[in-house]
Amino acid sequence: MSIQLSKEKIDEAILTIIANGGEGILQCVQCGACSAVCPGVRAGFPVLCRLLIKKLQEGQLEEIIEETSTWGCQACNRCTEVCPQGVRPLEVVFAFRRYQAKELAISTSSTLVQMTLYERGHAVFTDAQALRESVGLPGKAPTSAYDEKAQKEIQTLMDNSPMSELGLF
Amino acid sequence: MQQFGLYLGCNIPFKAPDIEQSFRKVFPKLGIEPVDLEGAGCCPAWGTAPSFDLTTWCSLSGRNITIAEEKGLDVMIGCNSCFGILSEAKHFIDTDPKRKKAVNEKLAMINREYKGTSNIYHVSHVLHEIVGIEKIKSKLKYDLSGLTVAVQPGCHTLWPSDICHIKESNPFEPTLLRDLVETTGASAPEYSRLASCCGMGGMRSTNVEKSLGLLKTKLLSIKEELNPDLIVTTCSSCFLQFDMSQPLLKERDLIDFEIPVLYATQLLALAMGFNPKEVAAISKVNRDVVIDDIQSEKRLI
Ligand code: SF4
Ligand code: SF4
Repeated sequence: MSIQLSKEKIDEAILTIIANGGEGILQCVQCGACSAVCPGVRAGFPVLCRLLIKKLQEGQLEEIIEETSTWGCQACNRCTEVCPQGVRPLEVVFAFRRYQAKELAISTSSTLVQMTLYERGHAVFTDAQALRESVGLPGKAPTSAYDEKAQKEIQTLMDNSPMSELGLF
Repeated sequence: MQQFGLYLGCNIPFKAPDIEQSFRKVFPKLGIEPVDLEGAGCCPAWGTAPSFDLTTWCSLSGRNITIAEEKGLDVMIGCNSCFGILSEAKHFIDTDPKRKKAVNEKLAMINREYKGTSNIYHVSHVLHEIVGIEKIKSKLKYDLSGLTVAVQPGCHTLWPSDICHIKESNPFEPTLLRDLVETTGASAPEYSRLASCCGMGGMRSTNVEKSLGLLKTKLLSIKEELNPDLIVTTCSSCFLQFDMSQPLLKERDLIDFEIPVLYATQLLALAMGFNPKEVAAISKVNRDVVIDDIQSEKRLI
Protein backbone atom coordinates (compact mmCIF):
# COMPACT_ATOMS: atom_id res chain seq x y z
CA MET A 1 0.00 0.00 0.00
CA SER A 2 1.48 3.34 -0.92
CA ILE A 3 1.19 6.13 1.55
CA GLN A 4 0.18 9.66 0.67
CA LEU A 5 2.48 11.95 2.61
CA SER A 6 0.88 15.17 3.67
CA LYS A 7 2.89 17.96 5.26
CA GLU A 8 0.00 18.92 7.48
CA LYS A 9 -0.41 15.42 8.83
CA ILE A 10 3.32 15.01 9.33
CA ASP A 11 3.50 18.27 11.26
CA GLU A 12 0.52 17.29 13.39
CA ALA A 13 2.03 13.91 14.26
CA ILE A 14 5.49 15.28 15.03
CA LEU A 15 4.16 18.18 17.10
CA THR A 16 1.86 15.85 19.07
CA ILE A 17 4.77 13.55 19.89
CA ILE A 18 7.04 16.44 20.86
CA ALA A 19 4.33 17.98 23.03
CA ASN A 20 3.96 14.66 24.86
CA GLY A 21 7.66 14.23 25.61
CA GLY A 22 9.14 12.58 22.50
CA GLU A 23 11.45 15.42 21.45
CA GLY A 24 13.96 13.03 19.87
CA ILE A 25 11.66 11.88 17.07
CA LEU A 26 13.16 14.24 14.51
CA GLN A 27 16.64 12.77 15.01
CA CYS A 28 15.65 9.23 14.00
CA VAL A 29 17.39 7.96 10.85
CA GLN A 30 15.54 4.61 10.81
CA CYS A 31 18.66 2.51 11.40
CA GLY A 32 16.68 -0.12 13.33
CA ALA A 33 19.19 -0.58 16.18
CA CYS A 34 16.40 -0.01 18.71
CA SER A 35 14.09 -2.65 17.27
CA ALA A 36 16.92 -5.18 17.21
CA VAL A 37 17.18 -5.12 21.01
CA CYS A 38 13.51 -4.48 21.86
CA PRO A 39 11.85 -7.31 23.84
CA GLY A 40 8.45 -6.02 22.73
CA VAL A 41 9.38 -6.47 19.07
CA ARG A 42 10.87 -9.87 19.88
CA ALA A 43 7.66 -10.93 21.62
CA GLY A 44 5.64 -9.98 18.55
CA PHE A 45 4.40 -6.43 19.12
CA PRO A 46 5.24 -5.08 15.67
CA VAL A 47 4.70 -1.33 15.94
CA LEU A 48 7.37 -0.36 18.45
CA CYS A 49 10.64 1.51 18.17
CA ARG A 50 11.70 2.00 14.53
CA LEU A 51 8.39 1.13 12.90
CA LEU A 52 6.32 3.25 15.27
CA ILE A 53 8.65 6.18 14.65
CA LYS A 54 8.46 5.65 10.89
CA LYS A 55 4.68 5.69 10.91
CA LEU A 56 4.68 8.85 12.98
CA GLN A 57 7.28 10.50 10.75
CA GLU A 58 4.95 9.75 7.85
CA GLY A 59 2.14 11.53 9.63
CA GLN A 60 0.14 8.47 10.67
CA LEU A 61 -1.32 9.41 14.01
CA GLU A 62 -5.05 8.76 14.02
CA GLU A 63 -4.52 5.80 11.69
CA ILE A 64 -2.68 3.87 14.37
CA ILE A 65 -4.48 5.12 17.45
CA GLU A 66 -5.85 1.66 18.28
CA GLU A 67 -2.44 0.01 17.91
CA THR A 68 -1.75 -2.02 21.05
CA SER A 69 1.98 -2.52 20.52
CA THR A 70 2.80 0.60 22.54
CA TRP A 71 1.09 -0.91 25.59
CA GLY A 72 3.40 -3.91 25.28
CA CYS A 73 6.44 -1.66 25.75
CA GLN A 74 8.32 -2.73 28.86
CA ALA A 75 9.83 0.71 29.38
CA CYS A 76 13.13 -1.14 29.61
CA ASN A 77 15.12 1.52 27.75
CA ARG A 78 17.31 -0.91 25.84
CA CYS A 79 16.35 1.19 22.82
CA THR A 80 17.56 4.37 24.51
CA GLU A 81 20.87 2.75 25.36
CA VAL A 82 21.67 1.69 21.78
CA CYS A 83 20.20 4.53 19.68
CA PRO A 84 23.11 6.22 17.89
CA GLN A 85 21.07 9.36 17.34
CA GLY A 86 20.03 10.11 20.91
CA VAL A 87 16.34 9.72 20.05
CA ARG A 88 15.40 8.07 23.38
CA PRO A 89 12.85 5.89 21.55
CA LEU A 90 11.07 4.94 24.79
CA GLU A 91 10.08 8.57 25.11
CA VAL A 92 8.57 8.49 21.63
CA VAL A 93 6.68 5.30 22.48
CA PHE A 94 5.38 6.86 25.68
CA ALA A 95 4.57 10.14 23.94
CA PHE A 96 2.41 8.17 21.53
CA ARG A 97 0.88 6.25 24.45
CA ARG A 98 0.04 9.58 26.09
CA TYR A 99 -1.70 10.67 22.90
CA GLN A 100 -3.59 7.35 22.88
CA ALA A 101 -4.46 7.65 26.56
CA LYS A 102 -5.80 11.16 26.14
CA GLU A 103 -8.12 9.77 23.46
CA LEU A 104 -8.95 6.87 25.79
CA ALA A 105 -7.43 4.32 23.42
CA ILE A 106 -6.14 2.36 26.41
CA SER A 107 -6.64 -1.23 27.40
CA THR A 108 -9.44 -1.80 29.92
CA SER A 109 -6.99 -3.50 32.29
CA SER A 110 -5.36 -0.11 32.72
CA THR A 111 -8.46 1.69 34.00
CA LEU A 112 -8.80 -0.23 37.27
CA VAL A 113 -5.19 0.58 38.11
CA GLN A 114 -5.86 4.33 37.88
CA MET A 115 -8.73 3.98 40.36
CA THR A 116 -6.66 2.00 42.85
CA LEU A 117 -3.87 4.55 42.52
CA TYR A 118 -6.34 7.35 43.21
CA GLU A 119 -7.95 5.64 46.21
CA ARG A 120 -4.96 4.06 47.95
CA GLY A 121 -1.99 5.76 46.37
CA HIS A 122 -0.98 2.34 45.03
CA ALA A 123 -1.54 1.01 41.52
CA VAL A 124 -1.35 -2.50 42.95
CA PHE A 125 -3.10 -3.02 46.26
CA THR A 126 -4.49 -6.03 48.02
CA ASP A 127 -5.28 -6.15 51.70
CA ALA A 128 -2.25 -8.10 52.80
CA GLN A 129 -2.39 -7.54 56.55
CA ALA A 130 -2.59 -11.25 57.43
CA LEU A 131 0.12 -12.15 54.93
CA ARG A 132 2.41 -9.44 56.33
CA GLU A 133 1.81 -10.55 59.90
CA SER A 134 2.54 -14.15 58.94
CA VAL A 135 6.12 -13.15 58.08
CA GLY A 136 6.54 -11.08 61.22
CA LEU A 137 5.82 -7.61 59.82
CA PRO A 138 3.26 -5.09 61.08
CA GLY A 139 -0.02 -5.72 59.21
CA LYS A 140 -0.15 -2.19 57.88
CA ALA A 141 2.68 -1.19 55.58
CA PRO A 142 3.99 2.31 56.35
CA THR A 143 2.91 3.58 52.92
CA SER A 144 0.02 5.65 51.59
CA ALA A 145 -2.17 2.53 51.72
CA TYR A 146 -3.32 3.22 55.28
CA ASP A 147 -2.45 6.91 55.48
CA GLU A 148 -5.31 9.30 54.75
CA LYS A 149 -3.13 12.39 54.61
CA ALA A 150 -0.89 10.74 52.02
CA GLN A 151 -3.92 9.61 50.01
CA LYS A 152 -5.29 13.15 50.05
CA GLU A 153 -1.96 14.49 48.75
CA ILE A 154 -1.89 11.98 45.90
CA GLN A 155 -5.54 12.71 45.06
CA THR A 156 -4.84 16.44 44.97
CA LEU A 157 -1.99 15.89 42.51
CA MET A 158 -4.16 13.64 40.34
CA ASP A 159 -7.23 15.92 40.54
CA ASN A 160 -5.10 18.78 39.27
CA SER A 161 -3.74 16.90 36.30
CA PRO A 162 -4.91 16.18 32.75
CA MET A 163 -5.65 12.63 33.96
CA SER A 164 -8.62 13.91 35.94
CA GLU A 165 -10.46 14.88 32.74
CA LEU A 166 -10.72 11.31 31.51
CA GLY A 167 -13.22 10.04 34.07
CA LEU A 168 -11.02 7.13 35.15
CA PHE A 169 -11.19 7.91 38.86
CA MET B 1 25.01 3.18 61.07
CA GLN B 2 24.41 4.63 57.60
CA GLN B 3 20.73 5.27 56.94
CA PHE B 4 18.74 4.91 53.71
CA GLY B 5 15.10 5.76 53.06
CA LEU B 6 13.45 2.41 52.28
CA TYR B 7 11.03 2.89 49.38
CA LEU B 8 8.69 -0.12 49.25
CA GLY B 9 6.50 0.44 46.17
CA CYS B 10 3.42 -1.79 45.74
CA ASN B 11 4.40 -5.39 44.91
CA ILE B 12 6.81 -5.95 47.78
CA PRO B 13 4.66 -4.82 50.74
CA PHE B 14 1.41 -6.38 49.46
CA LYS B 15 2.42 -9.42 47.43
CA ALA B 16 5.84 -10.42 48.66
CA PRO B 17 6.26 -9.04 52.19
CA ASP B 18 8.83 -11.74 52.91
CA ILE B 19 11.12 -9.81 50.55
CA GLU B 20 10.48 -6.68 52.64
CA GLN B 21 11.28 -8.66 55.77
CA SER B 22 14.54 -9.84 54.21
CA PHE B 23 15.57 -6.16 53.74
CA ARG B 24 14.72 -5.40 57.34
CA LYS B 25 16.77 -8.36 58.60
CA VAL B 26 19.76 -8.23 56.27
CA PHE B 27 20.61 -4.52 56.13
CA PRO B 28 21.08 -3.77 59.84
CA LYS B 29 23.42 -6.72 60.06
CA LEU B 30 25.48 -5.12 57.29
CA GLY B 31 25.64 -1.71 58.94
CA ILE B 32 22.78 -0.09 57.01
CA GLU B 33 19.64 1.14 58.72
CA PRO B 34 16.56 1.19 56.45
CA VAL B 35 14.33 4.10 57.48
CA ASP B 36 10.64 3.99 56.57
CA LEU B 37 9.36 6.64 54.15
CA GLU B 38 5.95 7.06 55.76
CA GLY B 39 3.16 7.82 53.33
CA ALA B 40 5.15 7.01 50.17
CA GLY B 41 2.86 5.75 47.42
CA CYS B 42 3.14 4.09 44.04
CA CYS B 43 6.17 5.20 42.01
CA PRO B 44 3.73 5.69 39.86
CA ALA B 45 3.73 2.52 37.73
CA TRP B 46 4.39 2.80 33.97
CA GLY B 47 0.78 2.01 33.08
CA THR B 48 -0.57 4.87 35.20
CA ALA B 49 0.60 8.51 35.21
CA PRO B 50 3.69 7.97 32.99
CA SER B 51 1.31 6.79 30.25
CA PHE B 52 -0.83 9.92 30.59
CA ASP B 53 1.19 12.98 31.42
CA LEU B 54 4.88 13.62 32.03
CA THR B 55 4.46 16.40 34.58
CA THR B 56 1.90 14.43 36.60
CA TRP B 57 4.31 11.47 36.60
CA CYS B 58 7.14 13.72 37.81
CA SER B 59 4.92 15.26 40.51
CA LEU B 60 3.84 11.90 41.92
CA SER B 61 7.41 10.55 41.78
CA GLY B 62 8.71 13.87 43.08
CA ARG B 63 6.34 13.64 46.06
CA ASN B 64 7.84 10.26 46.99
CA ILE B 65 11.35 11.65 46.72
CA THR B 66 10.52 14.68 48.92
CA ILE B 67 9.70 12.31 51.78
CA ALA B 68 13.32 11.12 51.71
CA GLU B 69 14.64 14.65 51.19
CA GLU B 70 12.84 15.83 54.33
CA LYS B 71 14.71 13.16 56.27
CA GLY B 72 18.00 14.05 54.59
CA LEU B 73 18.31 10.54 53.19
CA ASP B 74 19.08 8.85 49.90
CA VAL B 75 16.41 6.47 48.61
CA MET B 76 16.90 2.69 48.46
CA ILE B 77 14.49 0.69 46.26
CA GLY B 78 13.90 -3.05 45.89
CA CYS B 79 11.69 -3.04 42.80
CA ASN B 80 13.36 -2.40 39.45
CA SER B 81 10.30 -0.71 37.97
CA CYS B 82 10.09 1.72 40.88
CA PHE B 83 13.83 2.29 40.58
CA GLY B 84 13.53 3.05 36.87
CA ILE B 85 10.53 5.33 37.29
CA LEU B 86 11.90 7.34 40.21
CA SER B 87 15.35 7.59 38.60
CA GLU B 88 13.90 8.79 35.31
CA ALA B 89 11.54 11.22 36.97
CA LYS B 90 14.47 12.61 38.96
CA HIS B 91 16.46 12.90 35.73
CA PHE B 92 13.61 14.76 34.00
CA ILE B 93 13.16 17.15 36.93
CA ASP B 94 16.86 17.77 37.61
CA THR B 95 17.82 18.39 33.97
CA ASP B 96 14.94 20.66 32.97
CA PRO B 97 14.39 23.85 35.02
CA LYS B 98 10.97 24.38 33.42
CA ARG B 99 9.84 20.92 34.45
CA LYS B 100 11.21 21.43 37.95
CA LYS B 101 9.20 24.66 38.21
CA ALA B 102 6.04 22.94 36.97
CA VAL B 103 6.51 20.04 39.37
CA ASN B 104 7.08 22.36 42.29
CA GLU B 105 3.96 24.34 41.42
CA LYS B 106 2.01 21.10 41.73
CA LEU B 107 3.80 20.04 44.89
CA ALA B 108 3.12 23.44 46.47
CA MET B 109 -0.58 22.44 46.50
CA ILE B 110 0.30 19.79 49.05
CA ASN B 111 2.94 21.86 50.86
CA ARG B 112 5.90 20.02 49.45
CA GLU B 113 8.96 21.11 47.52
CA TYR B 114 11.26 18.95 45.42
CA LYS B 115 14.86 20.02 45.95
CA GLY B 116 16.91 17.32 44.25
CA THR B 117 19.04 16.45 47.27
CA SER B 118 18.40 12.70 47.49
CA ASN B 119 20.05 10.13 45.25
CA ILE B 120 18.22 7.00 44.11
CA TYR B 121 19.83 3.62 44.76
CA HIS B 122 18.63 0.11 44.10
CA VAL B 123 18.99 -2.41 46.94
CA SER B 124 21.57 -4.26 44.83
CA HIS B 125 23.58 -1.05 44.42
CA VAL B 126 23.67 -0.48 48.16
CA LEU B 127 24.77 -4.07 48.76
CA HIS B 128 27.46 -4.06 46.08
CA GLU B 129 28.84 -0.53 46.28
CA ILE B 130 28.12 0.76 49.79
CA VAL B 131 28.23 -2.39 51.93
CA GLY B 132 30.72 -4.26 49.75
CA ILE B 133 31.37 -7.91 49.03
CA GLU B 134 33.86 -8.48 51.85
CA LYS B 135 31.54 -7.19 54.54
CA ILE B 136 28.70 -9.39 53.26
CA LYS B 137 31.02 -12.40 53.25
CA SER B 138 32.00 -11.77 56.86
CA LYS B 139 28.36 -12.01 58.02
CA LEU B 140 27.46 -15.34 56.41
CA LYS B 141 26.61 -18.38 58.48
CA TYR B 142 26.29 -20.90 55.65
CA ASP B 143 28.58 -21.59 52.70
CA LEU B 144 26.58 -22.15 49.51
CA SER B 145 29.39 -23.79 47.51
CA GLY B 146 28.14 -26.28 44.96
CA LEU B 147 24.87 -24.47 44.26
CA THR B 148 24.36 -23.12 40.75
CA VAL B 149 22.33 -19.96 40.36
CA ALA B 150 20.85 -18.38 37.24
CA VAL B 151 20.79 -14.64 37.87
CA GLN B 152 18.06 -12.30 36.60
CA PRO B 153 19.09 -8.68 37.08
CA GLY B 154 15.95 -7.23 35.44
CA CYS B 155 15.76 -4.35 32.97
CA HIS B 156 15.37 -1.14 34.88
CA THR B 157 18.62 -1.14 36.85
CA LEU B 158 20.57 -1.55 33.60
CA TRP B 159 19.17 0.90 31.05
CA PRO B 160 19.44 3.76 30.28
CA SER B 161 22.83 3.79 31.94
CA ASP B 162 23.07 7.59 31.70
CA ILE B 163 20.53 8.07 34.48
CA CYS B 164 21.78 5.35 36.86
CA HIS B 165 23.74 6.53 39.85
CA ILE B 166 25.62 3.22 39.96
CA LYS B 167 26.50 1.71 36.59
CA GLU B 168 27.46 -1.69 35.25
CA SER B 169 30.59 -1.52 33.10
CA ASN B 170 28.54 -3.08 30.30
CA PRO B 171 24.79 -3.16 30.97
CA PHE B 172 24.32 -5.81 28.27
CA GLU B 173 26.70 -8.09 30.20
CA PRO B 174 25.88 -7.21 33.79
CA THR B 175 28.06 -8.64 36.55
CA LEU B 176 26.86 -6.94 39.74
CA LEU B 177 24.26 -9.55 40.70
CA ARG B 178 26.61 -12.39 39.75
CA ASP B 179 29.17 -10.90 42.18
CA LEU B 180 26.56 -10.64 44.93
CA VAL B 181 25.41 -14.24 44.50
CA GLU B 182 28.96 -15.57 44.33
CA THR B 183 29.68 -13.90 47.68
CA THR B 184 27.75 -16.79 49.21
CA GLY B 185 30.00 -19.40 47.62
CA ALA B 186 27.39 -20.38 45.01
CA SER B 187 28.32 -20.09 41.36
CA ALA B 188 26.43 -17.73 39.06
CA PRO B 189 27.66 -18.42 35.53
CA GLU B 190 26.88 -16.35 32.50
CA TYR B 191 24.23 -17.69 30.12
CA SER B 192 23.19 -16.52 26.69
CA ARG B 193 19.95 -14.79 27.69
CA LEU B 194 21.15 -13.38 31.01
CA ALA B 195 20.18 -9.83 30.07
CA SER B 196 16.93 -10.76 28.29
CA CYS B 197 13.52 -9.57 29.42
CA CYS B 198 11.32 -11.93 31.48
CA GLY B 199 8.11 -10.61 29.93
CA MET B 200 6.57 -9.08 33.07
CA GLY B 201 5.29 -5.52 33.12
CA GLY B 202 3.15 -3.80 30.52
CA MET B 203 3.65 -6.72 28.20
CA ARG B 204 2.02 -9.14 30.63
CA SER B 205 -1.08 -7.03 31.20
CA THR B 206 -1.37 -6.32 27.45
CA ASN B 207 -0.84 -9.85 26.12
CA VAL B 208 -0.23 -12.77 28.47
CA GLU B 209 0.64 -15.15 25.65
CA LYS B 210 3.42 -12.95 24.28
CA SER B 211 4.72 -12.35 27.80
CA LEU B 212 4.81 -16.07 28.59
CA GLY B 213 6.53 -16.68 25.25
CA LEU B 214 9.49 -14.53 26.29
CA LEU B 215 9.64 -16.18 29.70
CA LYS B 216 9.60 -19.64 28.18
CA THR B 217 12.47 -18.86 25.84
CA LYS B 218 14.48 -17.49 28.72
CA LEU B 219 13.70 -20.43 31.01
CA LEU B 220 14.64 -23.00 28.38
CA SER B 221 17.97 -21.31 27.89
CA ILE B 222 18.54 -21.23 31.66
CA LYS B 223 17.66 -24.90 31.99
CA GLU B 224 19.70 -26.05 29.02
CA GLU B 225 22.80 -23.98 29.68
CA LEU B 226 23.00 -23.99 33.50
CA ASN B 227 20.48 -26.49 34.90
CA PRO B 228 20.57 -24.36 38.07
CA ASP B 229 19.36 -25.07 41.61
CA LEU B 230 17.88 -21.60 41.83
CA ILE B 231 16.99 -18.43 39.98
CA VAL B 232 17.97 -15.30 41.90
CA THR B 233 16.75 -11.84 40.98
CA THR B 234 17.00 -8.29 42.23
CA CYS B 235 13.65 -7.27 40.73
CA SER B 236 10.34 -7.92 42.47
CA SER B 237 8.48 -7.91 39.13
CA CYS B 238 10.84 -10.50 37.67
CA PHE B 239 10.44 -12.47 40.90
CA LEU B 240 6.65 -12.57 40.50
CA GLN B 241 6.87 -13.48 36.81
CA PHE B 242 9.30 -16.37 37.34
CA ASP B 243 7.48 -17.62 40.41
CA MET B 244 3.86 -17.39 39.28
CA SER B 245 4.31 -18.20 35.60
CA GLN B 246 6.47 -21.34 35.80
CA PRO B 247 3.50 -23.37 37.13
CA LEU B 248 1.37 -21.95 34.28
CA LEU B 249 3.92 -22.98 31.66
CA LYS B 250 4.22 -26.39 33.24
CA GLU B 251 0.48 -26.90 33.32
CA ARG B 252 0.41 -26.27 29.60
CA ASP B 253 3.29 -28.68 28.95
CA LEU B 254 5.46 -25.85 27.67
CA ILE B 255 8.18 -26.69 30.21
CA ASP B 256 8.71 -29.90 32.14
CA PHE B 257 10.54 -28.45 35.16
CA GLU B 258 10.22 -25.75 37.82
CA ILE B 259 13.19 -23.86 39.22
CA PRO B 260 12.83 -22.26 42.67
CA VAL B 261 13.14 -18.46 42.71
CA LEU B 262 14.53 -16.16 45.39
CA TYR B 263 15.01 -12.42 45.59
CA ALA B 264 18.72 -11.67 46.19
CA THR B 265 18.29 -10.43 49.77
CA GLN B 266 16.31 -13.58 50.55
CA LEU B 267 19.30 -15.64 49.43
CA LEU B 268 21.58 -13.54 51.63
CA ALA B 269 19.15 -13.68 54.56
CA LEU B 270 19.04 -17.48 54.33
CA ALA B 271 22.83 -17.67 54.08
CA MET B 272 23.04 -15.43 57.15
CA GLY B 273 20.84 -17.85 59.06
CA PHE B 274 17.56 -15.93 59.29
CA ASN B 275 14.29 -17.81 59.68
CA PRO B 276 12.87 -18.88 56.29
CA LYS B 277 9.34 -18.49 57.70
CA GLU B 278 10.05 -14.77 57.86
CA VAL B 279 12.44 -14.05 55.00
CA ALA B 280 11.44 -16.61 52.34
CA ALA B 281 7.94 -17.86 53.12
CA ILE B 282 5.78 -16.97 50.11
CA SER B 283 6.11 -18.61 46.72
CA LYS B 284 4.18 -20.65 44.18
CA VAL B 285 7.17 -22.75 43.12
CA ASN B 286 8.15 -24.88 46.11
CA ARG B 287 11.49 -23.83 47.62
CA ASP B 288 11.62 -26.12 50.67
CA VAL B 289 14.27 -28.48 49.38
CA VAL B 290 16.72 -25.79 48.38
CA ILE B 291 16.08 -23.75 51.54
CA ASP B 292 16.71 -26.85 53.70
CA ASP B 293 19.87 -27.47 51.75
CA ILE B 294 21.07 -23.86 52.19
CA GLN B 295 20.56 -24.01 55.94
CA SER B 296 21.90 -27.54 56.43
CA GLU B 297 24.50 -28.33 59.07
CA LYS B 298 27.08 -29.41 56.55
CA ARG B 299 27.18 -25.85 55.23
CA LEU B 300 27.84 -24.14 58.58
CA ILE B 301 30.88 -21.91 58.35
S1 SF4 C 1 11.67 0.57 26.20
FE1 SF4 C 1 9.95 -0.32 25.08
S2 SF4 C 1 10.39 0.22 22.96
FE2 SF4 C 1 12.33 0.45 24.08
S3 SF4 C 1 13.39 -1.51 23.90
FE3 SF4 C 1 12.21 -1.59 25.80
S4 SF4 C 1 10.25 -2.53 25.22
FE4 SF4 C 1 11.25 -1.84 23.32
S1 SF4 D 1 18.03 3.35 17.05
FE1 SF4 D 1 17.48 5.52 17.09
S2 SF4 D 1 17.95 6.28 15.01
FE2 SF4 D 1 17.92 4.03 14.89
S3 SF4 D 1 15.78 3.54 14.29
FE3 SF4 D 1 15.86 3.48 16.53
S4 SF4 D 1 15.27 5.55 17.18
FE4 SF4 D 1 15.79 5.67 15.01
